[in-house]
Amino acid sequence: MFERIIATAFALVTSISAAGAANVNVKLLHVEQNPQASGFLKEIARRYAIEHPGVNVEIQYLENEAYKKKMTTLLQSPDRPHIIYSWGGGVLREQVEAGVIEDLSASMAGSWQERFNPAGIQAYTLNGKIYGVPMQVSQVGFFYNRDLFAKARVDAGAIKTWDDLLAAVKKLKAAGITPIIAGGADKWPLHFYWTHLAIRNGGKGAFEAALRGDGEGFAAAPFVKAGEQFRQLVDLEPFQPGFLGVTFPQSSGQFGDGKGAMVLQGNFMLNSMRANSADKKGVPDEKLGWFAFPTTAGGKGEASDTLGGLNGWLVTKGAPTQAVDFLKFLSRPEFQREAAARGFFIPVVKGTQDAIANPILRHIAENIGRSRYHQIFYDQALGPSVGAVVNDVSADIAAKVMTPKEAAQAVQQAWQLANQGSR
Amino acid sequence: MNGKLAVVLLFLPPALFLFTLFVALPMGEAAWYSVYNWNGYGTPENFVGLKNYILLFHDRAFRSALVNNLLIIVVSLAVQLPLAFALAVLVADRFRGAVTFRMIFFVPYILAEVAAGLIWRFVYDGDYGLVAKAATAVGFAAPYVLADRDLAMYAILVVIVWKYFGFHMMIYIAGLQQIDPNLYEAAHIDGATGRQILWRVTLPMLRPTIMLSVFFAVLGSIQFFDLIMPLTKGGPSDSTQTIVTYLYTYGVTRMRIGFGSAVGVVLFLICVAFAFGYNRIRTHQD
Amino acid sequence: MRYDTPVTIAPFLRIAVLLLFAGLVLIPLVATVLGGFKSLGDLRVNPFGLPESWEWDNYWSILSGPRYWHLLLNSLIISVLTAVLTLAAASMAAFVFAHVRFFGSRLLLQYLLLGLLFPAATAILPLFIKIRDLGLLDTYWGVVLPQVAFGLGMSILLFHNFFRQLPGELFDAALVDGCGYIRFFRYVTLPLSRPIIAVVGVIVFVHSWNSYLLPLVVLNRDSLYPWPLGMMAYQGEYSTDWQLVLAFVTLTILPAVCMFIVAQKYLVAGLTAGAVKG
Repeated sequence: MFERIIATAFALVTSISAAGAANVNVKLLHVEQNPQASGFLKEIARRYAIEHPGVNVEIQYLENEAYKKKMTTLLQSPDRPHIIYSWGGGVLREQVEAGVIEDLSASMAGSWQERFNPAGIQAYTLNGKIYGVPMQVSQVGFFYNRDLFAKARVDAGAIKTWDDLLAAVKKLKAAGITPIIAGGADKWPLHFYWTHLAIRNGGKGAFEAALRGDGEGFAAAPFVKAGEQFRQLVDLEPFQPGFLGVTFPQSSGQFGDGKGAMVLQGNFMLNSMRANSADKKGVPDEKLGWFAFPTTAGGKGEASDTLGGLNGWLVTKGAPTQAVDFLKFLSRPEFQREAAARGFFIPVVKGTQDAIANPILRHIAENIGRSRYHQIFYDQALGPSVGAVVNDVSADIAAKVMTPKEAAQAVQQAWQLANQGSR
Repeated sequence: MNGKLAVVLLFLPPALFLFTLFVALPMGEAAWYSVYNWNGYGTPENFVGLKNYILLFHDRAFRSALVNNLLIIVVSLAVQLPLAFALAVLVADRFRGAVTFRMIFFVPYILAEVAAGLIWRFVYDGDYGLVAKAATAVGFAAPYVLADRDLAMYAILVVIVWKYFGFHMMIYIAGLQQIDPNLYEAAHIDGATGRQILWRVTLPMLRPTIMLSVFFAVLGSIQFFDLIMPLTKGGPSDSTQTIVTYLYTYGVTRMRIGFGSAVGVVLFLICVAFAFGYNRIRTHQD
Repeated sequence: MRYDTPVTIAPFLRIAVLLLFAGLVLIPLVATVLGGFKSLGDLRVNPFGLPESWEWDNYWSILSGPRYWHLLLNSLIISVLTAVLTLAAASMAAFVFAHVRFFGSRLLLQYLLLGLLFPAATAILPLFIKIRDLGLLDTYWGVVLPQVAFGLGMSILLFHNFFRQLPGELFDAALVDGCGYIRFFRYVTLPLSRPIIAVVGVIVFVHSWNSYLLPLVVLNRDSLYPWPLGMMAYQGEYSTDWQLVLAFVTLTILPAVCMFIVAQKYLVAGLTAGAVKG
């Protein structure tokens, strides 16, 4: 008790004084809410500090939404973290163009770069230079609760097309089970529906054409159709009551508590589910199922196309060289294998994926490996302002306040606005 | 006159300097930035004229914010102020417990808006909250008030009234206590009824107090941000945006300096319009 | 003296109405405080009543860690600095306006009082750019200095009003005795200004203590967070554990409620002083 008071006072005093005890302080900022997963990161930091005396790696956490909102102001601060978490895409591009991200090409050249899957390096390469260290891949798909599916006599294996999914939703509703859990307050969980439908409808071609500005861009038919199909689902009222006010962590907790049968999410949802469920465990592995996003009739996309993330770490300009060194340390295959085995994420380092213990994660890793078109989340790929609009329109379709056509047009308008004039 | 120069040169600059640097200049810069499309890095280069303003007024979310601010003003003036006045009348006397009641009613005002917002987020929570429990206790399904596009803003209005009625009540109490009781005696003697006294004596005497209360209410209504963020962050689907939450969401977090400055300029103009109108009414009365 | 109200109300009815409203005001607050003592499951089924079993650990886990105290310390530093600087700058400027007539003095006063009308939000983005360019992002000063600047309008108004009401003979007598302006300020005005210094100081302090938008935009390091930012960060982290969030909220509003109970006499007087006369 007394020691606690002393420790608190000491912590206060040392935290006010600017200089820490260590000679070099490396600050890393992440968004992992799950204490075991973040604990893993802290453990690596501890081991690094042991091997490199005089260097202290400080692992800081900021909640996902706050992190995204603060990043723009954060990067302008002289006190920004040295290592930041990234989803790549257009957001990364803007950050690089603003000149706040360190070019890692020189450090990565050679053996370090060789460790990673080429796709991972590719995702963090801009204008021929490497700006980040890839760390994990994720795929968005439907997680489902086997017990609830069984209760409604829905066979997950039979869900192959969009119409199959709609039929399953009706069956679940008829059985008195909430078909789908969604974190509408954060909006991005809803944008998965719209974007994955667009991927199924138009495939890689449509997206690349829109990026080039061909034709109607994001207002073209595949995107409008995606909105219409999403609206079909919304009209069935499949979501849990109050879903528009539920955040992602809450929604993960709700799924873990068995409040709904399915949730369309990336595999990172599992960490969130464990952290936010009432029993801190959520749906146990043997009761958990997964199936890929269904295909759409007449869609140009391939069934193997995936939507997901390719996340990594960036180093901000002016960071000490130990920051880069720590990332090299972190990406050692043995640590990546440990993370894979404990189910924290799917690593990108070559030869580590066989360590994945969880069968669902393994299945996802294989999907991504097989996919010829892995689309990074639109809200990150398209850059912060356009990405935000994609999120907005998805939520608006779900709230039935916007028509699919308006939604697609809004995205196209935002894209044009962001990409005209000087950048 | 030696002391005069010294005191002016010594005493004025600190305030002038701070004010100019952090208030006046940024105000001017807001107008300047608002005609550019700028993400904050380097210097603004992309001149777009009034485009930001046009975009602004076409944006459904912004129009919603304007409507919400108006709604807040109307509810503040039509619901909160009369309520505060009524309670002030009940509590202005010296009777046992009057001071305690006044303190209780004033407590919400002293809480930070952020804290009040978070407390009511709990109250309105569809799974754990008081409203949900009350609803299920009488047999209704628990409403998810803050997730309902139609209900959320009204829920927020309730919080606003809860938070500020005590403040206005205190202002009215002070005003009421300034009224010479002899006036009431005289009116009684003349045979006036309670209602007549209220309308003919009390309210006219309270005019300056009421004007002050209105001033604070309207100015406060325009600025709501801290209260909204913990409750709904402006959602669901932008149905509870106010001008300042809109500025934060669409300007600050997306680093659209030009666009956000345009919102700031619009806010500025609204305040100016109000100040003008208020002054007009005040000088008219005198 | 008894203040007669314009309308006579039956005492029973009056008490009933007052109790009703008092209840409506207090229920959310009491539920919050009690919520911190419940387990999550208990909170779910019983948000209104007393805890089934008193979980002291929710509150203790927050009080025993450095996080909470750190937040309060940051708020204290920022608010004290803001209050002291505002009092100094405003009292000095108001003094000049009250006693020295020079060309443009009226205009300057109007200029400074304009700040009363406009919320900080109107210029928050240019302000952010300015703070960044001055290198004050992520520092206490980045929050303190703008807060002082925005608080000057009201503070100068209040000081000015007060100074003008001080007896003019004092000043004349001092001038005759050869006392300079500055000495007068230091040895006469200030000592007499205790009440207004207390009022302005409290208003500025409380305003800074509760402020959210400016620190939100300026501060990114959580080691600098004042309590509103810290509270929201805590809620973001523990969003599904309402019992912890409620305990945290209770602890963060506790200083304010305590300060209120202690200072309520001055606070209420200050709010209405000069206001109705104004």
